[in-house]
Amino acid sequence: MDDRDLVGLARRGDREAFGQLIVQYQVPLYNMALRMVGAPDDAADIAQEAFLRAWEKIRTLRDAPFKSWLFQIAANLCYDHFRRGRRYGMMPDDDQGAKIVSLGIATPDPQERAEANERNRLVRDSIAGLDHDMRMAIILRDVNGMSYEEMAAVLRVPLGTVKSRIARARSAVQERLQQHPDLFPMSTPTEDAHAE
Amino acid sequence: MPSESHTPIEPTLAELSAYLDHELDAGAQARVAEHVAGCNRCKARLDGLRQTAYAIRGLPMETPPRSFTVPQRSPRRSWAPVAGWVGSLAAATVLVVFGVTHLNFGAGPAATTANRSVSGGLAAAPAQPVQPYGAAAPLYQSETQASVAKAITPVNSKTAIDPTNSSRSLTIGTDAHAYAANGVLRLHVATAGLSTNEASTVRIFLVRDQGQGGYAIRLAPATSAPGYPLHYDAAYAIPQMPLPSPVAGNYVLQVEIQLSDGSALIAWLPLTITS
Repeated sequence: MDDRDLVGLARRGDREAFGQLIVQYQVPLYNMALRMVGAPDDAADIAQEAFLRAWEKIRTLRDAPFKSWLFQIAANLCYDHFRRGRRYGMMPDDDQGAKIVSLGIATPDPQERAEANERNRLVRDSIAGLDHDMRMAIILRDVNGMSYEEMAAVLRVPLGTVKSRIARARSAVQERLQQHPDLFPMSTPTEDAHAE
Repeated sequence: MPSESHTPIEPTLAELSAYLDHELDAGAQARVAEHVAGCNRCKARLDGLRQTAYAIRGLPMETPPRSFTVPQRSPRRSWAPVAGWVGSLAAATVLVVFGVTHLNFGAGPAATTANRSVSGGLAAAPAQPVQPYGAAAPLYQSETQASVAKAITPVNSKTAIDPTNSSRSLTIGTDAHAYAANGVLRLHVATAGLSTNEASTVRIFLVRDQGQGGYAIRLAPATSAPGYPLHYDAAYAIPQMPLPSPVAGNYVLQVEIQLSDGSALIAWLPLTITS
């Protein structure tokens, strides 16, 4: 059963089907919001609100892909968040807190782990330093892995704009990361015009 | 080797970035490839963009700090009055629950009970297998009363407290944080404060991190009438799980306990499978 099937059921009031859509998208949606707004509580509020609005309006969704539609709602909420500078609700304390799911086996070497943490912090800070449009573009592409077409639907901008925003965002992040060559030893253009 | 002067016109930054994503049309993709092959400068620019993209993609995906819910009422009609509550403390407090979430799905055993809320948890009625997902049978399982339980020693564990009744809790534990793809996952599920009259079905899912192509499998057959307090131990051979390749990645172990009032307790636990 794919998204279209689940949406069809949800439009008829099937909460189980919508629950499956929530499970499918809660992690990428939350991470998109987290990379946009920074604070876990704010990101969770935005994801929660996006699911609420999607549930509320699911019957208006016809042929558009659910994923793009859902992320469009969340993206708008992120922009609202910046415009209004306020939270969407106060949440009770979470005694368990957010858990980071590590990639691969955690290295036993404290030095390597510390460097990895520092690299991640610098990447996060570099993304946070982008303007909202470029930040959204690079997050949807490189955090959420969306295609340009999906992004154009989410952001409601032409493909050329998507392409431009991603490129400029990557270039800006690269500039920031290159200030830390010990942690990000990147390739640099040479004057040599020819490849080997 | 071709010299830069013989290669196609130098691509723009946007073209190089889109080339990296295979988002150019075939002609442009070939033109950029030909140019980059003969131009060290553009090759370095492309490598820089690629390294940057990889650095961003390497950020760990984080699990949400709580479950996400929607109200129990049908969409549109009943939610119109609530739509204006955005930002309301009251709405947020009612609708969002941390760690443990109440849910009620109409198709389940709660179909005849009053709806309370819907959670982001997977929920399939016991009589209706989770069709979209695969399932894995345990190598062994024991489901006993607490007094005779033979539990594993969890090193990765989380306990979720029922927000409506702090005496109720659901604990999930595994014997490791990370497992080899050919390994065996041992888990322990336990409840406290729940009687057999208050709780029924247990459902266990292994949910793949969405950032890596999400999907879920059901780890245990539904137990029709488990005893409570529940102490459930089971082991699952990871190679026997119908996990699409690549198997290595981040997962969430999710456990749901169906309650007699039509809600459910849900808790989850992140774990990793390595190649």
